[in-house]
Amino acid sequence: MVVRVDALVSVGIGPITGPQGTMVTQVLSADLRRTSMITPAASGSGEYQASGDYSGTGLTGRLLNKKTGAEVFHQTFNGTGRAPIHEFADAITQAVTGIPGFASSKLAFISSATGSKELYLADIDGASARAITHDNTISSSPSLSRDGSKLAYTSYKSGYADVYLIDLSSGNRTRLAFFPGINSGASFSPDGSQIALTLSKDGNPEIYTMPISGGAPNRITRTRGSETSPSWSPTGDRLVYSSDDRGSPQLFASISQGIGELDHLVTGNSFCTKPDWSPDGKSIAFTTRLGGQFQIGVYDVTSRMAKLVTTGGGENPAWTRDSRHLLYDNNGHLYLLDTASSTHQSLPVDMSVTGCSEPTVSR
Amino acid sequence: MNKKCLAPLLIVLTFALAACDDSKKGNYTGQGNDGGLPDDTVNLSNGGIPPARGKFNPETDVSYDTLQADTVYFAFDSSTIPGSERGKLQNVSEWMKTNPDHSLYLAGHADKRGTAEYNRALGERRALAVREYLVGLGVPAASLFTNSYGADRPAVEGDTEAAYAKNRRVQVGVVIRP
Repeated sequence: MVVRVDALVSVGIGPITGPQGTMVTQVLSADLRRTSMITPAASGSGEYQASGDYSGTGLTGRLLNKKTGAEVFHQTFNGTGRAPIHEFADAITQAVTGIPGFASSKLAFISSATGSKELYLADIDGASARAITHDNTISSSPSLSRDGSKLAYTSYKSGYADVYLIDLSSGNRTRLAFFPGINSGASFSPDGSQIALTLSKDGNPEIYTMPISGGAPNRITRTRGSETSPSWSPTGDRLVYSSDDRGSPQLFASISQGIGELDHLVTGNSFCTKPDWSPDGKSIAFTTRLGGQFQIGVYDVTSRMAKLVTTGGGENPAWTRDSRHLLYDNNGHLYLLDTASSTHQSLPVDMSVTGCSEPTVSR
Repeated sequence: MNKKCLAPLLIVLTFALAACDDSKKGNYTGQGNDGGLPDDTVNLSNGGIPPARGKFNPETDVSYDTLQADTVYFAFDSSTIPGSERGKLQNVSEWMKTNPDHSLYLAGHADKRGTAEYNRALGERRALAVREYLVGLGVPAASLFTNSYGADRPAVEGDTEAAYAKNRRVQVGVVIRP
């Protein structure tokens, strides 16, 4: 298989005025480099020139095409801290590559740093990591809504596995699914109005959908096996999930409106779990077990072929907005993987935040 | 569903009634009109018995000491009760005959290998398999509660096959404060 790596676009950065110009340049450079499509360059060089003024309440950014001399955009990004810098990086990425950047995405994950599994939120570069639960129980399987405003996850606060919903702007937490048996593995629909999840209330773990406003669940699968880790197609009409109904766990897709015909996604690997459907709909990332080790695979929806994208281990892949990069965990650390080149880099979360797993990314 | 013969229908109705009794005991019923009852009855043709939650607190109201020797162990990625483990469940059913006022809390677990959701479901399948087996031995379904902790409550830490084997289990807890 030929690995396609696009030629890098060079973007010169500077001048960035304001008292924290150096910090802005560093954050912006790291954001652009992380796209795997842009190489940040010194002020004055590069095919494009990004300059701006950063105050405490926002960033006014300007992008110049140096070949034509034309101004590509001149825009103010409101917000405090690093948020407007990430917005500027995404605007540059979209403008020079035509592909959405993911610097402004939010990251949620589980950390066992305190001795119990708690839920954490961070910027996608790993900065600003902070615990948002302090429940001293098991928290697991977080899912961010695409707009980053809501978080669903599994907690044993009641003693049993229930699905909770957190409104990140208000901090309000509500218990959304608490049927007898396990309630777990929630995944937001693309429009954020529903979750898909695993419930075992009817006798064994099956996939259901539920409105986040509450209401009766709608059953999606009916097998003798376990169905887990549903993920929605970008159009919301289909779900992919793992099922061990035929023995070891395999990936299947079916309609999201009710019980439909199952489409077996043949990956060539006998143990496949935790699928994640890419925002462009073309790929499904998953965790597979090979020779006793867990690796990340990517299934191509069009060609119906799968390939491995890690060799050193990995679990729980989550696509970023560009449908090219994956966040995943391995041995308690988070990584960012470029699926086009199969290269990965460590995601530097705060040193004290250890035992990281199950990353989820807003889109 | 309307083509079902009478015998399975009676079984379905029996289970549905049992589920009603269980749900009355529970604090934790699901959201929606059905209050956590099975959304329909045909799903019972899966062979599963709907799980139930007790009104006790699993963290404080369950003792694993009494029936600790009867912890049931499983093979990797399997929820089939091995033949070698079935004698333990015979012991459990006999204990229940002499202690008919007690309820049991069946806690399913998986070893750490694999994703969290898959392991949670695997632990649940193991707990439900033990429940179904005990019902087959005559233990009333209404006195059996289940839960799964996936890989999050290992009996033994470590990355050895010996550690994994001790963690793939269903613990049989006695509800001490029902």
